[in-house]
Amino acid sequence: MLVQRQTTISGNLVQLCKFLRTKGFVLGTKEESDALIALTLLPIGNKDTFHTALKSIFAKSKWQFEQFDDLYEEFWEQLKKAVDSKTKELVEPNEDKVPTVQKPSLETLKSWLFNNEPEEEKNIAAYSNLEVLTNKNFGDMSTDEMRLIMALLRKMAKQLAHQKSRLKQRSKRNRYLDLKRTFSRNMRLGGDILKLHFSEPKDKKLKLVLLSDVSKSMDIYSRFFINLIYAFQNSYDRIETFVFSTTVHRVTELLDNHEFNKAFEIISERVPHWSGGTTIGNCMQDFVNSYGHKLLTKKTVVIILSDGWDTGGSSELKQSMRDIYKRSKKVIWLNPLAGNPNFSPDVIGLQSAMPYIDVFESAHNLESLKRAMKHLKTGRRKHLLNT
Amino acid sequence: MSIDLNKIGKILRDQAYIADKSVEMSVFLSMQLEKPLLIEGPAGVGKTEIAKVLAQALDTDLIRLQCYEGLDATHALYEWNYQHQLIYMKMYDNGNVSKEKLEEDIFSDKFLLKRPILEAISREKPPVLLIDEIDRADEEFESFLLEVLSDWQISIPEIGTIKARSKPHVILTGNRTRELSEAIRRRCLYLWIEYPDFEKEMTILKTKIPGLDQKLGEQICAFMEELRKLKLEKTPGIAETLDWAQALTAMHFTHLDKQIIEDTLGVVLKDWQDIRHTQDSFSELLEKTGVVSRLS
Repeated sequence: MLVQRQTTISGNLVQLCKFLRTKGFVLGTKEESDALIALTLLPIGNKDTFHTALKSIFAKSKWQFEQFDDLYEEFWEQLKKAVDSKTKELVEPNEDKVPTVQKPSLETLKSWLFNNEPEEEKNIAAYSNLEVLTNKNFGDMSTDEMRLIMALLRKMAKQLAHQKSRLKQRSKRNRYLDLKRTFSRNMRLGGDILKLHFSEPKDKKLKLVLLSDVSKSMDIYSRFFINLIYAFQNSYDRIETFVFSTTVHRVTELLDNHEFNKAFEIISERVPHWSGGTTIGNCMQDFVNSYGHKLLTKKTVVIILSDGWDTGGSSELKQSMRDIYKRSKKVIWLNPLAGNPNFSPDVIGLQSAMPYIDVFESAHNLESLKRAMKHLKTGRRKHLLNT
Repeated sequence: MSIDLNKIGKILRDQAYIADKSVEMSVFLSMQLEKPLLIEGPAGVGKTEIAKVLAQALDTDLIRLQCYEGLDATHALYEWNYQHQLIYMKMYDNGNVSKEKLEEDIFSDKFLLKRPILEAISREKPPVLLIDEIDRADEEFESFLLEVLSDWQISIPEIGTIKARSKPHVILTGNRTRELSEAIRRRCLYLWIEYPDFEKEMTILKTKIPGLDQKLGEQICAFMEELRKLKLEKTPGIAETLDWAQALTAMHFTHLDKQIIEDTLGVVLKDWQDIRHTQDSFSELLEKTGVVSRLS
């Protein structure tokens, strides 16, 4: 862009706004006029005051608040040069330009998610883009693609969280009038309707327990999965999250209280042997012993994210998986390595656990992950009574 | 109201609030431009305190709306005192009062329960309206708030539109548990408050706790600064520093040592995993802050 020399202060302000807009600030005429009004209120000639005033008007988020000082400096630098040469080309790195192909693909993904057929004329090029994403291994994705996927997953999690049952429950919000309760309660008061009672659809009380493997063999996927869990946990409140490698760690509150990057940092620092070996059997046993009585009920779906590589013995795994299976609604095992054509489930530990797993999915790409998610809603199909 | 920037700084200082330039400027501009001020930052850095101090300084009321999940318009605006209306109707249901009169009566101010926002705009003298932890409320409430904050009027079907008598000074706070919408950000001035640096925290301690030993204060601030660098689940804020300093002063300590810190760590850290984590890196922490063990 061009920074042109302006002789009036308002001219310069408008220039600054223009400059900030190219850096991702959202500024309209309202902000510009606010800034001009503010200047009339402030003592003239104090540079710092001028600077802080503009900062409080133009910055609208934490990120912008932190960026502002540097950008402000940069702008005046550019302007100084412009004073000498009248106009001056500004070196503009194109880093934050969003590639244009992404937008249509998001549209298509959305419609695909709701099982709408895409309109034929629209976005034919983008449709193939979607195909690529759907079947692309999570391990090979670029950050932009990941961001796209994450947004999508968040949406799926939200849908899952807001499944309403047909049962009604009492409510303090004024949703639906509960006539039956209203009448019966007010009969006590002599038959006049004094107090209204309301109801709202009851949430389906599906509980989720996530156990994520963070050992070395799962390295490329663990960050992704923790991100996935994070997305889930933020829209679903009946969820308990654990990570394990050689011991089990409850991370539910951590993910609740922190934004993702910080939470991830804390987890990887806290959990001993992060990216080390795994003893799944021991960990599962641990989980059952310490948390099982509280968390495992017939309404709980247990999701295990692991490749099944176990450095411990297989008998513990079998035993603990059997416990989990018996006490839960469903057991879903996601193994991203199973997406590899060379994969065969000959891991001894995993094989012994197989009878106690309701759903085994690879979850290495969006397609299979979506398939696995579908299972969350339904009950158990097969029953093992004799084990 | 004529108020200038220096005066704001003085007002805040008079109320024992230690503010830096950006805080002063934001408060000043939000009053001058009559825009809400959105304050974000980690827990315990004095976001809510700004509203309280401002109300005291302007000698006006503080009206607080604590947000929570499920907060809806009836809790924020108004409700009809419906039981009273019914009783009133019963009392005058003997035919002496015309129906129109009765209707007019029961939908009058007398039976209107004002909730914080309606309360705030119906005051003669502009109060400070604190909308605390806005990020906890649902998105629907946020959009509802937008409407109120831009028009400063509320429509009540039975009465009509109530216009604000005066525009309250609005302060919104948030912990970033959820991203707020672009629309609400644009209607506000924004301020981010970080944990204080060493000097600022020291000044706060000295202002709030007059009897504080200089050396003890310095050690506490240094320790807190290092503590916040650890990756804790619940990073302690200024409130914790103050509690700790107060406790130690009350026990007449003049300096920190390993034993004292170990015994009183529960004042600062409220999470057992954090305490365990801190104890693991204790010697490193003490070394950095220059606290020596009593034994050595």
